[in-house]
Amino acid sequence: MGEVILEMKDIDKTFPGVHALDHVSFDVRRGEVHALMGENGAGKSTLMKVLTGIYTKDSGTITYEGKEVEFHNAREAQAAGVVIVHQELNMVGHLTVAQNIFIGREFKKGFSIDDKKMVEESKKLFQKLNIDIDPSATMSDLTVGKQQMCEIAKAISHDAKVIVFDEPTAALTEAEIQDLFKIIRDLREQQLGIVYISHRMDEIKVITDRVTVMRDGTYVGTLITKDCTKDDIVNMMVGRVIYEEPKTKSMVAPDAPVVLKVEHLNAGKMVQDVSFELKKGEILGFSGLMGAGRTETARAIFGADPKESGEIYVNGQLVDIHSPQDAVKAGIGYLSEDRKRFGIVVQKTIAENTTMANLPEFMKGIFINKRKERKKAQELADSLATKTPSVDELVVNLSGGNQQKVVIAKWLCKNCDILIFDEPTRGIDVGAKNEIYKLMNKLASEGKSIIMISSEMTEILRMSDRIVVMCEGRKTGELMIEETTQEKIMSFATRDVG
Amino acid sequence: MKKRVLATIMSATLVVSMLAGCGSAATTEAPAAEAAPATEAAADAAPAADTASGDKLSFKIVVKSFQSSYWQAAVQGVNQAADKLQVEVECNGPNAESDIADQVNMLTNYINGKPDGIGLAACDQSACLDALQMAKDAGIPVVCFDSGCPDAPEGSVLSTIATDNYGAGATAAENMYAALKDTIANASAPVRIGEVNQESTSESITQRGLGFIDKFAELAAADGKKVAVVGNEYYVNAAKDKGDEATADVIIEVAVPAQTTVELCATEASAIMNKSDVLGIFGSNQVAAEGILSADENLGKLGSKAGENILGVGFDAGSIIKAAVKDGKMFGAVTQSPLAMGRTTVETLYAITQGESVSDVATDGYWYDSTNMDSDDIAPNLYD
Amino acid sequence: MEKKKTAAKKSKQELIVFLVVVALLIFFCAASPSFRQYTTILTIMDYSYYIVLMAIGVSFPLITGGVDLSIGTGLVCYSLAGGYLIMHHGWPTGAAMLVTILFGTAIGVLNGVLIGVMDLPPFLATLCTCMITRGLGSICSKNTGISWPTAGQPGCWFRSIFKLDVGGTKIPLGFIWVLLLAILMHYVLRHTKVGRYTISIGSNKEAAILSGINVKFYHIMAYTVSGLFAALASIAYSAVFKTVLPGTGAGFELEAIGGAIIGGVSATGGAGSIIGTFIGVFVICLLKTGLPFIGLQANWQQIVTGFVLIGSVMVDIIKKRKEKR
Repeated sequence: MGEVILEMKDIDKTFPGVHALDHVSFDVRRGEVHALMGENGAGKSTLMKVLTGIYTKDSGTITYEGKEVEFHNAREAQAAGVVIVHQELNMVGHLTVAQNIFIGREFKKGFSIDDKKMVEESKKLFQKLNIDIDPSATMSDLTVGKQQMCEIAKAISHDAKVIVFDEPTAALTEAEIQDLFKIIRDLREQQLGIVYISHRMDEIKVITDRVTVMRDGTYVGTLITKDCTKDDIVNMMVGRVIYEEPKTKSMVAPDAPVVLKVEHLNAGKMVQDVSFELKKGEILGFSGLMGAGRTETARAIFGADPKESGEIYVNGQLVDIHSPQDAVKAGIGYLSEDRKRFGIVVQKTIAENTTMANLPEFMKGIFINKRKERKKAQELADSLATKTPSVDELVVNLSGGNQQKVVIAKWLCKNCDILIFDEPTRGIDVGAKNEIYKLMNKLASEGKSIIMISSEMTEILRMSDRIVVMCEGRKTGELMIEETTQEKIMSFATRDVG
Repeated sequence: MKKRVLATIMSATLVVSMLAGCGSAATTEAPAAEAAPATEAAADAAPAADTASGDKLSFKIVVKSFQSSYWQAAVQGVNQAADKLQVEVECNGPNAESDIADQVNMLTNYINGKPDGIGLAACDQSACLDALQMAKDAGIPVVCFDSGCPDAPEGSVLSTIATDNYGAGATAAENMYAALKDTIANASAPVRIGEVNQESTSESITQRGLGFIDKFAELAAADGKKVAVVGNEYYVNAAKDKGDEATADVIIEVAVPAQTTVELCATEASAIMNKSDVLGIFGSNQVAAEGILSADENLGKLGSKAGENILGVGFDAGSIIKAAVKDGKMFGAVTQSPLAMGRTTVETLYAITQGESVSDVATDGYWYDSTNMDSDDIAPNLYD
Repeated sequence: MEKKKTAAKKSKQELIVFLVVVALLIFFCAASPSFRQYTTILTIMDYSYYIVLMAIGVSFPLITGGVDLSIGTGLVCYSLAGGYLIMHHGWPTGAAMLVTILFGTAIGVLNGVLIGVMDLPPFLATLCTCMITRGLGSICSKNTGISWPTAGQPGCWFRSIFKLDVGGTKIPLGFIWVLLLAILMHYVLRHTKVGRYTISIGSNKEAAILSGINVKFYHIMAYTVSGLFAALASIAYSAVFKTVLPGTGAGFELEAIGGAIIGGVSATGGAGSIIGTFIGVFVICLLKTGLPFIGLQANWQQIVTGFVLIGSVMVDIIKKRKEKR
């Protein structure tokens, strides 16, 4: 670890009605990975936006390479060597990798753009980073992981000295995460200062040198990673110990009725001959590596993708599901892994989102009975403990965890007894995560049946009564929670099904 | 899909046509005080027909559009008469002759303004009927010109001043047939005569088209030839005898573009003129005739030699058609007298306000070609 | 490896459309003897110029994810304005052409400012300029049809830009010009900043902004290109047809947009090629010219063209869906 390259001191920022940053200090040294942690709304993003000039600070100083600086926009910060790799990738899908890396500062040859030189430079860059990507490939053809690598390459090509990673692993597979860590370690070797924002406690332990925790816009403290435990960090973040107790045995009675039975389901390469049962009040975990076909299975059951063959029985009766409407009618609700795209309409209110799937019940003639709608939404918001001033709030203003609750409310409003949670806690901070866990347990104890798809091993182990493991589109194993270990799941998940 | 561009485009065209309509119809001015009914003014027939309050008579004239110089000439006639009779007139018309709804809207606005009389050249024979009933109820006399409204409510249209369009179409047919008579008589295979009409909704155009078809068929039949009419449904069904294409010696092919634009008229014309058996082609108004000339830019088939060239016959005048007739590119054309028609319209409206009884006036269509177009009885009618 | 795949994919679309053009040609030749003539080619060419030029221009707004509905009525408006100066003020043709081009470019800039700077939805902004140009055209021409100089009149030289008369044989010279322009603009789209950023705006505007691109400026540029080419189209239209009628033009833009979309310009922005647009327009032109030859009535021609458009957009959507799976 070298000397301090960037220091933010006593940064203060007030928005109308909110004290977003209350005299926060933070520094990065050359050759270190410094984690910035905190629940959503703790002020991490605001701090980084102040750093890169998107927000103007009210007071405090930023010292970069020994000089006090103030960047006015992302471009100025970039030029000085301070770069953010955003959580939402900012790539132009229709352009090539090289064109994206050099966008806004293209090499020119007369009037035209020198694509050849851009490709060459990109190649050099990738070599330096030890990444195997073809610079002439179209960006949208790459996987999310590779796109992220490109984003990093782009950041480095700006001659970056400080790189901020904002939740970089949210959309990556395990293998891609390993690649990313390798790159981050290389960058650390090259004496860059790295800020690493993430919710994943495991990663923090693996990749970072120091951890700074923020809470409610204030600086809580900084720890040396190797000297602290996860619980230390979590305690600093929320000020209380939180996790739901992991399950050690199934909470489902052995003779509980089967509510959903799927037999020999086939839908493309990703879903081949999948059969399983779901019992009343059960949380059935779906584990496996990225690309194992779990989401595809869920989508096929839900009718969102066409299936080729297979039967689905709900409460013992064969149902014909060709579209999500059919599935909803059969009492199946699906919480997509990509909330913003499929789950909710962010520009609408909580109440409107809640009743979206069950609007006919709230109609009075041709008009929507707003009062009834609001009442029902309030009821559900209360029971799910959705944190919001009112159900008339736009969903876009809610945190990730609360957005997830709105989606759950939507399906509860529709009286769905079978809920499919696809990565329910992705992008949600620790506190909210635990609330979702509590909620799922509550729903299960009330007799709802839940399929939970999750890539987080700890989540699977903590929540499931029973676990189905998939690999390459096939079901490769099924485990009761009592007999489950991480090793057993991994061996099923990597099973060569040839 | 992020942006539903297609849906957008579709609705765009709808909205455009709607809004454009509203825009062009908004030029009505305040009505000229109290209407001066015939009884009041009948006593005094002096040109300065001022009412007791000193206001001039006010007439509103609705033309089909200003697209061709034909209507400019008509408006000129209107203004000449208005100056002479010391009355106020206001002329208006939609952007294109196919903007039927706009015209009805315009007419209704005028009626609401209660003028002393309205002159109307209807784009569509039936679309104006409701408005005419309104005019009748409001006691506003209407004179139709250029095109009549045969189904108008009894007593609403007091006079129709129009070219005998059917007769004018027949005039075109007579002259074309006379030139082609021998060629047709000697033909070993079926021959084809084309006709391009800009639309199939207004009376003037349809009557011209049918007059041509019926007359040509009649003349050919008299010489022992079998005639068939093919193409646009309206004209085929309205023709006196549509014949049978399979056995016909003379095929009359009628084309109507989807919209009144030069390039669509030209497309239709060139599709017909490209056929090897075409002897002649008739364009039933200025736009259609210019479309035929546009099409010939590439084909180079038009001329004055029967059998060798395609004989093009136009309608109305305008600089392009006049030039084409003059150099023999176009065999000839039929002209109306828009100037006289416009003048007569105002004069008739005036006569009505003076309590005189009026009747329909039919003006003739005159044949002209390179030989007579400079003569005294034709030249004044050939507007630019 | 991946590069080859995408490059092949792009040219494949163009190849398919080209094959459709060839297939249509063969079909019409087989179906109608009178179609099989040199003059038919001349006719198709004549009617293609103005649509091709409009389509090249409108491809830029389309690729930004927007649309330009003002090009049709704009075309007529610019032509009426230029023609009026020649007919009634004795301007030389060249000067009138310059005015036409400046007029079109100005309307393009106006569209660009409304959309790029004032943030009006493209549909709305260009709908308004569509109405404005329609009205302006009628005013410019004092509501009469306008003819640019015809053969034999002084100043008629500009007609031979598009069609050269060599001893009675007519050469569709305009094809070469529009082809060259298409290649030029293809290059502009692929290899210059204007093109690159046009694509970027349509593909991911947010990313373009974050990359420090002056998105407002390049938005304006896209619509300026569209306006400029509408003006060029207006000159082509004036040169090919004898008269220009006020009040017309609405609907021209649909043929141009249709051609661009058939040629592979994505209806949602971000993708497209000008060569593709160029070929796509000929599908529209062939239908427009060919269908009357096989005796199809005008209203049916429009229906057929509409369905062809639906078909090509469906192909685009299905292709995307397949790629996603």
